[in-house]
Amino acid sequence: MRVLNVLLAGSAGLGHQNHQADMYAPGFAAHPGFAVVGAVEADDRFDRPDVDVVSVCVPFEDRVEVVSRALRAGKHVLVDKPMALTSAECERIAAVAAETGLVCMPAYHQRFQPAVRSAREAVAGGKVGLPWNVQADFLVAGGGAVWPLGELLNFAPYATDAIQAITGLAVTEVYAIAGVNFQDAAGPEDLVTLCLTHERGLTSTVVAGRTPAAAGVHGLSLHRYRISGSHGTLLADCTRPAAEVLTAAGARRSWAGPGTVHRMLTELHAAVVAGRPAELGPADGVAALRLVEAARQAIATGQVVPAAAPRA
Amino acid sequence: MERHSISTGVLVVGAGAIADLHVAALSTDPRSRLAGFVDTSGERAAQAAHRNGGVPWSTDLAEALSWPGVDACIICTPNDTHERLAVQVATAGKHLLVEKPLATTVPGARKAAEAFAGNGLTLAVAHSHRFYDYARTVREEIRSGALGRPVLVRLALLGSWIWPDWRAWVLDPARSGGHALHNGVHLLDLVTWWIGSRPLSVYARGQRRTAAELDVHDYLEMVVRYESGATAVCEMSRAHRPAGYSGRDVVVQGTEGLLTLPWDGEGPLLTDERGTAPLDPGVAYGFAAQLGAWLDALTAPPGPAATEAGVGAEEALLAVALGVAAERSMALGRPVDLEEVL
Repeated sequence: MRVLNVLLAGSAGLGHQNHQADMYAPGFAAHPGFAVVGAVEADDRFDRPDVDVVSVCVPFEDRVEVVSRALRAGKHVLVDKPMALTSAECERIAAVAAETGLVCMPAYHQRFQPAVRSAREAVAGGKVGLPWNVQADFLVAGGGAVWPLGELLNFAPYATDAIQAITGLAVTEVYAIAGVNFQDAAGPEDLVTLCLTHERGLTSTVVAGRTPAAAGVHGLSLHRYRISGSHGTLLADCTRPAAEVLTAAGARRSWAGPGTVHRMLTELHAAVVAGRPAELGPADGVAALRLVEAARQAIATGQVVPAAAPRA
Repeated sequence: MERHSISTGVLVVGAGAIADLHVAALSTDPRSRLAGFVDTSGERAAQAAHRNGGVPWSTDLAEALSWPGVDACIICTPNDTHERLAVQVATAGKHLLVEKPLATTVPGARKAAEAFAGNGLTLAVAHSHRFYDYARTVREEIRSGALGRPVLVRLALLGSWIWPDWRAWVLDPARSGGHALHNGVHLLDLVTWWIGSRPLSVYARGQRRTAAELDVHDYLEMVVRYESGATAVCEMSRAHRPAGYSGRDVVVQGTEGLLTLPWDGEGPLLTDERGTAPLDPGVAYGFAAQLGAWLDALTAPPGPAATEAGVGAEEALLAVALGVAAERSMALGRPVDLEEVL
């Protein structure tokens, strides 16, 4: 297996998040296809011959510039999600990625859940016929709010990206409800409901949020998709595969197999080595922010808002 | 079973499929007795009477209401007749349990409710899901405070049982009021009861999946916003495939906890030559509990217990308003405030 050298750039994220230290650095270190060769900050140079991939977690004000510079230096890029804070900035990144032809992957790793992969394959194999509805729940128990930005930007796009991965049908209309339910009222929204209309008559309803901690749950308390199609119904529970363990301390789930970051890095590696586009690309980063912006407008007005131009 | 010296004589009006469930409930409660059948079809009324021990039958409600021993009625006729028949029953001085919805319009529901106001008669509306074990368990968990304040509720009822007959009057919106009023009100009432707050708006989307030519939506997604800040996502479907698919899903996220009922079934799993399917978990019979609550209200002085047990005029009117708002939302393609329809 060809080993790709990775340079870690930055350690910023939404609010308190440091996905570089918490997720990507350990993910690259544990993956046989990658070797971490160093860590730099936003103003360092990327045109080093010993680097194949730059893992970008620089502050949002530097995102467009740093991702563009890494791509123009001939490096493939993994960029923390959200790729940027506006769809316009995401589009600028997407334009540079298209120009260079290199892999630029926004890290929406939840689409690599085994249950999402199986659902995607089943839909692609025609097992449910033409999908006409998806219901999705993405609830995380515990952890801190991502001040000052809320879960519409942080969590909801994981679920909408998974729906895109499963159905391949872009969003055309958005209605949204958001609330501050679990923290003090001065916080950002921590629970959102998105009612989405997609191409070809597909509708979806997505619930996403961060709830108070629950005993025995580390992370997602509810993560699932029901895909209804012209010829069948598919229930994909993303808390599986896991062993359920019951002890005097309570109940917990013990995950079986590699995590979603590892699986995402496998796709990154395969795309780079094969010289093909990754299945998760800049267009997905753009779609996520367009949807967030439409949802914000829907929340502000209480009305249904057309989503910006569908992806090419 | 204990014999009561005085039992309530109940006339069943409309002898279709749902009447059988009410009649079976009547036979389980010693406080009630079946007093006869009324149906616009003499054949259907006669057959129902014959199947139930040769009780009296008629095609004329006014005549049947004058029979001795008729104290109350259960109306199981098409939805567009509920308002008129409810007023007729009230005028005759009889108590009423009427199938949901109370009426197909808000003014109609109000008129039916007013007919029972202040005359000592009891009006209850058969939002039967409130009386099923799963619904009561969810309600009790919320009321216990274990979940904190409910902020998100999901309720999905998907299945072929919703209408077996694709020629039925249910599929005519002029008769049923549309699917949101016919079956949607089950969910809209139940989630509102669970959440315990005033609904503010409904955003509904409907699909006609089985055939584009359907006059009602065979799939409904209805999202309700509440004064407390809670949101409810309700789905009602006769559109899911395979045609025999049956699914129910409940999620309640509260400020202090999460409740889920297994979305992949509660019964034992049978794997045979045709594949794997859940067996009926053998849930308790909601219609008997519903009848019992109505009889409680008829026989006991009004009090908190009676209010809690049955679905009265005010809540039934709200359910109609929610259903009307959902139908309007689908027609207009935008959320509809309850104030617009109340």
